[in-house]
Amino acid sequence: MSVSTAAYLARRAAQKERVQILYRRALRDTLTWAVHRHLFYQDASNLREKFDANKHVEDLDAIDRMIAEGEAQYNKWRHPDPYIVPWAPGGSKFTRNPTPPSGIEIVYNYGREDND
Amino acid sequence: MALRAVLLRQLRVPVQTLALAGCKSQPWSFSSCIRLMSSHDDHLSKEQVIGRVLDVVKSFPKVDPSRVTPDVHFQKDLGLDSLDNVEIIMAIEEEFKLEIPDKEAVKIDSCNLAIEYVYNHPMAA
Repeated sequence: MSVSTAAYLARRAAQKERVQILYRRALRDTLTWAVHRHLFYQDASNLREKFDANKHVEDLDAIDRMIAEGEAQYNKWRHPDPYIVPWAPGGSKFTRNPTPPSGIEIVYNYGREDND
Repeated sequence: MALRAVLLRQLRVPVQTLALAGCKSQPWSFSSCIRLMSSHDDHLSKEQVIGRVLDVVKSFPKVDPSRVTPDVHFQKDLGLDSLDNVEIIMAIEEEFKLEIPDKEAVKIDSCNLAIEYVYNHPMAA
């Protein structure tokens, strides 16, 4: 009994995390698709309504099926050129002017320090 | 003359409190101003991080701003659900120009964790 309860709880927790990650990615994608902020607000609230519509589903297999459907839909409508934070890999400022590692400093003597 | 001496002995000029007030009224110190043009923003102080994270949480529509403290739990104390949690973390990411990996962002469920994460992130700006 307790083993099945633990298994049930573990599966629910895994599903919860999957839904959270799906919602997060979808929200991010909505922000990328929306050209302006005021368009994003309406899209985001529509997205939230889609998630909230199935809030009270209890059947584990039905939940799994819905998550799979949602992920398929997300993959279908994923933006081809999403917004990336500038410093992140793929961003416009990635590896540009990184701070030098600690212990290394710039000496503005242009090599003359050895000859003096 | 005696009266003047007594008066001067009793008189206390609050130099220290004035200096402190002067510091607080100027949130940008010189060292953080001078780094503004560099490619990396200077690291944020703990107070700045706490203040901005709390501002973000307070401005979330479903949150009662009077109940927000630095160690509040989003779902247990503020009555939010897990999707609201995701939205708050997104707002914090936008506030600090961060990109938090999905697996880590899902784990952040309280103000304390959010403040710690942002404060320890090298790119938080």
